[in-house]
Amino acid sequence: MSDVSLALAQTRYALRGFLRDPSALGFTALFPVLLLLLFSAIFTGATRFDGAHVPARTYYSASIIAYEIMLVSFASLVVRVTTNRERGLLKRFRGTPMPSWVYLFSEIARTLVVVALTVAVLLSVGAGFYHVTLRASLAVGLVTYTLAGVFCFSTLALALTRLSPTADAASAVGPLAATILAFLSGVFIPVAIMPAWMLDLGKVFPLEHMARGLQVAFLVPGSTGVTWTDLGVMVAWGVFGLVVAMATFRWEPLGSAGR
Amino acid sequence: MTVQNLRKSYGERERLHGISFEVRAGEILGFLGTNGAGKTTTIEILEGYRPYNAGAVSVLGVDPAKATRAWRNRIGLVLQDCELDPAYSVAETVTMFARYFDAPTDVAATIDAVGLSAKANDRVGRLSGGQKRRLDVAVGLVGDPEILFLDEPTTGLDPIARREMWTMIEGLRDAGKTIFLTTHYMDEAEHLADRIIILRDGTIAAQGTADELSAALGYRATVSFDAYPGFSAGELAGVLGRPVVIADAVARFESPDVQGDLEALLRWARAQALTLANLQAIQPSLDDVFVSLAGESARDELEVEP
Repeated sequence: MSDVSLALAQTRYALRGFLRDPSALGFTALFPVLLLLLFSAIFTGATRFDGAHVPARTYYSASIIAYEIMLVSFASLVVRVTTNRERGLLKRFRGTPMPSWVYLFSEIARTLVVVALTVAVLLSVGAGFYHVTLRASLAVGLVTYTLAGVFCFSTLALALTRLSPTADAASAVGPLAATILAFLSGVFIPVAIMPAWMLDLGKVFPLEHMARGLQVAFLVPGSTGVTWTDLGVMVAWGVFGLVVAMATFRWEPLGSAGR
Repeated sequence: MTVQNLRKSYGERERLHGISFEVRAGEILGFLGTNGAGKTTTIEILEGYRPYNAGAVSVLGVDPAKATRAWRNRIGLVLQDCELDPAYSVAETVTMFARYFDAPTDVAATIDAVGLSAKANDRVGRLSGGQKRRLDVAVGLVGDPEILFLDEPTTGLDPIARREMWTMIEGLRDAGKTIFLTTHYMDEAEHLADRIIILRDGTIAAQGTADELSAALGYRATVSFDAYPGFSAGELAGVLGRPVVIADAVARFESPDVQGDLEALLRWARAQALTLANLQAIQPSLDDVFVSLAGESARDELEVEP
């Protein structure tokens, strides 16, 4: 079996395992849909965006999709990889002829599939109920930011596993970071009513750029929302995550380090 | 597999002080030691997980510190603490691991070899401890390895699961696999291993077959019986030509020749029309050998027999 078909088989295997984990499914598939429904039920009117009045529900459709991309690629991936490492599974894989990249590829490819499926669900809800107009420019922006987001947040997730000694720690840190970033980035609260200093702080991090880009793609007709600045910040964070992950990633349980 | 003068330090502290041994093709080597003796460090070096500081290690002609993919195709691992993902079935787990190897064995046959055919479609999360451990072995075997590393395969298992594991390992030996077995159970090594190495504080305290280890220590059988009123240790000592002691109303003597001594003892008893109550002759067990070699302090760390 070639390495490429092995990588694809390992991806299917990872995906199957993920789909059988009710807590992971609830957290990454059900939770964001509920968030979108809740925000859209609370903010029924218009909000200012890019100098125009736009439906708040459309704004939230874009924002929650950005949030979802981060949730699956970052918060959920940290937990899954940390869990597998602490189970001794990564060490076990490392003791087989399977190349290391195959495992990491399978987890990231698995992440991309889950992101694609859940984003499609959120997009359908937005298009069906929240005035999201499906057009070519939106598709270009959505695909671009989905790929950039999965790359950026997945590598950051792999980098963070070194700092989470247990699966429990990962389950606490991932969602906490995701929630704080969501507030700083105008995901949960519309940018029109956010303090400027908080948005400036948010601009340091990749979620702000992904959220803003998607909001433009969803709200400004004809615009893809893709800018070199937004994409550049995300890729820079992704490369940073990759470098840190390559230097610090551990295959053996941290609990037994130095034994 | 050969190991020469292997040394390993963690920081300032040296854990392996230059150990040397070899494992021959087709044998089961029992690698014994108390917790902290260096068993895990040694096996992880042999498995290619850990670098070492000095010495020479060769497993199938390759230095494990420079493990290649081709080499990994030829060895099988059963790690001490590895929890296979509970979300998959037994068959799914073994199938996935089979894909990692160039020339895997048949998945169904491997599951059958570890006695899990009836559980093939059950999720790993629903298996008992013994069944999970046997699945670990299946995953270690599915690449059809030349050498199988079994790191404490029965620790934590109940006595029945332990016996089942032993039967399975004996089957592997009969199939001609070379097995490196670590354990801290004396009876396990005695039962399964062709040769035994006892590790103590990072050095090899003894190696050989179970019989050789007992003999090397000069252990002798002990014959004992209840000392009846008026029994004279001196008289019997004269008959046998060996020192006889009485303690707690039990007479005993050490015997390098149990058959000869028992014949002399019984002839003497018949001549005097005596009945010797609780007569027994006890061979020293490997457990005694181990305790003697590992030191009394190790006694506290020994696992209680399940």
